[in-house]
Amino acid sequence: MSKLVVKSLTRRFGGLVAVDNLDFELGNGEIVGIIGPNGAGKTTLINLISGICMPTSGSILFDDKDITLTPAHIRSRMGIGRTFQLIHPLENLSLIENIMTGFLFSQGENKKKARLRAEDLCALMNLTDTGREISQLNILEMKKMEIAHALATGPSILFLDEVMAGLNSDETKEIIKIAKKIASSHNMAIGVVEHVMGVIKELTERVIVLDSGKLIAKGVYEEVSKDPKVITAYLGGAA
Amino acid sequence: MIKYWKYILIAIILLLGVLFPFYAGAYQQSIARTVLIYLVLAISWDMLLRSGQLSFGMAGLFGIGSYASVLLLLRLGASPMLSILGAGLVAFVVAALLGILVLRLRAMYFAITTLAIGEIFRIIIRNWSSFTGGPEGAILPNIIFDGDPVLSYWLVLGLALLAIVLSVIFQKTRIYFALTAIRNNEVVAKSSGINIFKYLVIVFAITSALQGMAGGVFAQTYGFVTPESSFSADYILLPIAMALLGGIYGTLGPIIGTVLLGVLAEYLKLYIPYGHLIVYGIIIICIIMFMPQGIVGVVRSKIIRREVG
Amino acid sequence: MAERILKRPLYIIVGLLSAAVIVLLLFWKPTVVVYGVQRAGLYAGIALPMALILGIVHIVNLAHGEFMITAAYITYFLCNSFGMSPFAALVPVVIVMFLLGMLIFKFTIKHTLKAPELNQLILTFGLAMVLTQGLNLIATSQPRKISLDFVTSSATVGETTFGTYGFIYDLAAVLILAGLLFFLRKTKFGKAAVAVGQNPRGARIIGIDVNKIYILVFSLAIALTGIMGVLFLTSQSIFPLAGGSYTMKSFCLVAMAGMGSLPGIVFASIGLGIAESFIMSFQGYGGWSNIVFFALIIIVILIKSFKGKR
Repeated sequence: MSKLVVKSLTRRFGGLVAVDNLDFELGNGEIVGIIGPNGAGKTTLINLISGICMPTSGSILFDDKDITLTPAHIRSRMGIGRTFQLIHPLENLSLIENIMTGFLFSQGENKKKARLRAEDLCALMNLTDTGREISQLNILEMKKMEIAHALATGPSILFLDEVMAGLNSDETKEIIKIAKKIASSHNMAIGVVEHVMGVIKELTERVIVLDSGKLIAKGVYEEVSKDPKVITAYLGGAA
Repeated sequence: MIKYWKYILIAIILLLGVLFPFYAGAYQQSIARTVLIYLVLAISWDMLLRSGQLSFGMAGLFGIGSYASVLLLLRLGASPMLSILGAGLVAFVVAALLGILVLRLRAMYFAITTLAIGEIFRIIIRNWSSFTGGPEGAILPNIIFDGDPVLSYWLVLGLALLAIVLSVIFQKTRIYFALTAIRNNEVVAKSSGINIFKYLVIVFAITSALQGMAGGVFAQTYGFVTPESSFSADYILLPIAMALLGGIYGTLGPIIGTVLLGVLAEYLKLYIPYGHLIVYGIIIICIIMFMPQGIVGVVRSKIIRREVG
Repeated sequence: MAERILKRPLYIIVGLLSAAVIVLLLFWKPTVVVYGVQRAGLYAGIALPMALILGIVHIVNLAHGEFMITAAYITYFLCNSFGMSPFAALVPVVIVMFLLGMLIFKFTIKHTLKAPELNQLILTFGLAMVLTQGLNLIATSQPRKISLDFVTSSATVGETTFGTYGFIYDLAAVLILAGLLFFLRKTKFGKAAVAVGQNPRGARIIGIDVNKIYILVFSLAIALTGIMGVLFLTSQSIFPLAGGSYTMKSFCLVAMAGMGSLPGIVFASIGLGIAESFIMSFQGYGGWSNIVFFALIIIVILIKSFKGKR
C-alpha cells in the first residue's frame, strides 16, 4: 500500500507552472530521491505535500485520506514532516526549544515530556549544549537542528530539502548516517531532494526526476542517470 | 539562591502595592490608579505583540469596555462588579468576531483594522443616542464602592495583577512557544503543527477582554463615559510608548516602562496641558530607531555580554 | 494596469453593477452622485500618494492623513498671517511639505527600512501622533476655517441644484493621477522608481541609486498630500485629529484597488464616495456614513484571504 499518492498535481504561480500534472507515489519505509535542475519544482512539490501552499488542481492522498485541502498544521500532526531548504530557525527560541515545538504541537506532549524527548533526540543527533541560542550554532548544527525539528513532529513520511547543501564531505557523511538510522529505526518513508548525486546514490532506492514541473523519468538512479531526457534537462539547465 | 531573592523581592513589591493607600495621599492614589490602568493596556498589547501582531485597538476596546459596563449598569441594572466582567466579555466577543474576519490576513491589514475599531465604535455610540447617550456621553448614578478610594484602588490593582499573571502564564507555558514561533516564522510554525489562526484569535480575544475590563473599571471608578474621552488616542499612544520603553516581548518590560512613563505623564500634564502627548510620540519614534529592545533588552544584553566576556 | 483589470470577469461584473447603480441613483437622487464624485476626488487625491509610497518604498504610511492636515494648517497660517489666498499658498506649501517629507524620511523612516514591518508600522504611527499632537500644541484643538465666497458657488441642471466647488478635488485627483502615470511610465526617474518598487535588490545591481529614489518618491508623495491639504482647507474646517480618518480611508482604498494599482484607486474612491454620500442623503443618518469604509475594508480582507487559500 502506498503511504502517499499524488495525483495529477498542478500549481501555477501567475503564468509559471511550477508543478505540472504530476503523479507520484511513496511507499511505507521507502527512501526516494527527488532530483532535477534548479527551478524544476522540487521545493514547490514539497510545499504542496506539506500544505505550505495549496495546489491549483490535482489531489494528494495520505494513508488513503484526501488531504488536498487540509491545512499545514494538521498535516504536520498527521505525520508529514519536512525540513526547509533555506533554514529559518525560530531565532528567539533556543536550540532545544526549537526542537520542542514539534513535540508540543504536532504530538501534543506537555512541556516537561517535550523537553525530555527533545533532549533524547539531540543525543541521537549528536547535538550538545542544547540550551544555546540559535546565533551560536554552526552550519552543521543548524542542519541537524532542522532535521531534529522535523523528526520532533513525529512524521511517518519525511522530506529532506537539500539538507546537505553547504556541508563538507565529512559532515555530509554524518548526516547520511543519521538519515539511514532514522529510516531503519522508525520505518519512515523519506523523500530526499539533493543536488549532490553521491548522496542520492548512497541513500535512495529509487529516484524521480523533475524538469519544469513535469516528471520526466523515474527508476533506479543508475538507469535514470543514463536517460537521454534527464541528461538534456541537466545540460539545458546548466547551459 | 538568586531565585529565592527574586521571590522575596516580588513579595515585598506586592505588599507595598497592596498597602499603598495606607501610606500615600489621595493624589498619589489617583495617579497610581491611572498608572495601573495603563499597565493593563501596555501588558495586554505586548501579549499580542509576542505573536508578531501589532494592535492599535486598545483605545477602541477600552472604550467598548467603558460603554459596555456603563450601559449594562444603566440599562440592564447589573451590579458594578458584574458590569466590569460584562465589559470584558463584550470586548472578548467583539475581538473574537473581528479576529475571525481579519486574522487570516495579518500585519498591516490587522493593524489598520484594529486602528479603525475605536473610530467605528465612536461613530456608533455618537449616532445611537437613544441607547448610548450620544455625543454627551452617559453618567452613572453612583461611583463604584460609593467612591471609596481604597477599595477602588484595590479593584484596579486586582485587574493589573490579573494581567500580570496572565502574561506570566503566556511566558511559562506552551503558549510562549506558539506565539514566539508564529512571530519568528509562520511557515515553520505551521510545520511544527501550530494552529496559527486559532492561537491568534484566542490571544487577541483574551488581551482585548483585559482592555475591555480596564475600560469597565475606569468607567466605574470615574462614573462617566463620553465618546471622546473613552476612545481617546491616549489609550493607544501611552501603552505603546510604555511597553516599548521598558522592552517588548516580556512581562517585566511593560511594567518598568509603565511605572517610568506613568509618573512622567503626571508632570507632563501639568506643564504642557495641550499636546503633552507629543512627548510619547517622540519616545516611540526614538525607541524604534535607537533602542528597539527597550530597557530590559539593553540590560539583558549587557548581562549576557558580561557573562560571555 | 487598466488592461489587467478588464481581463478579470469579476471586475467586469462589479464594474457593470456599479455603473447600473450609479445610473439608477442619477435618476433617483442625482445630488448623491454629484457629491459622491466630489468626495471621491478628495479621497483619491489623498490615497494616490499613499499607494505611491506603498508601491515603491514598501512602507504603510500611517501618518498619511496627518501630513495632509499638517499642510492644511500651514496653509491656514500663511493665509492668516500674510493675507495670502490659499491658492497662492499652494506653491510654498508644496515646497515645505516636500522638504518636510525629505527630513522625516532621512531622519526616521530610512533607518527602519530594513527592520521588520512591525517596526515601520509603529514608527509611522508615532509620526502620526507627533504631527497631530504638534498641531494640538501649536494651534490647540479648536476647529479652524477660512471663508471663501466662491466655495458656495452652485449650478442647476434640470431641477437639481448642487454645489460645484467640490469638483476641484476631482480636478486635483485627475491631475495627480495623470501626473503620476506620466512620471512612472515616461520619465527616466519614474521608470527607475518602478524598477525599485518591483525589485529593490535587482535595481541596485543595475546601478540605480535606491536610497535616492526612496527619499525622492516619499517626499514627492508628501508634497502631493500637501496639494490636497491646501484644497481641504478651502472648503472644510480643520482640527488636529481630522487627519486620522483619511489615513484609514486611504489605506482602505489602496487595499480595494489591489496594492499598487493607481487607476484602481480612482474607481475605489468613486465607490466609497458615492456610498458615503448615499447614506448622508438620509436626514439624521449622515453620521453613519463614516462606517462605510470599515465595512469595505473587511470585505476586501475577506476576499483576499479567501483567494489566498487556493
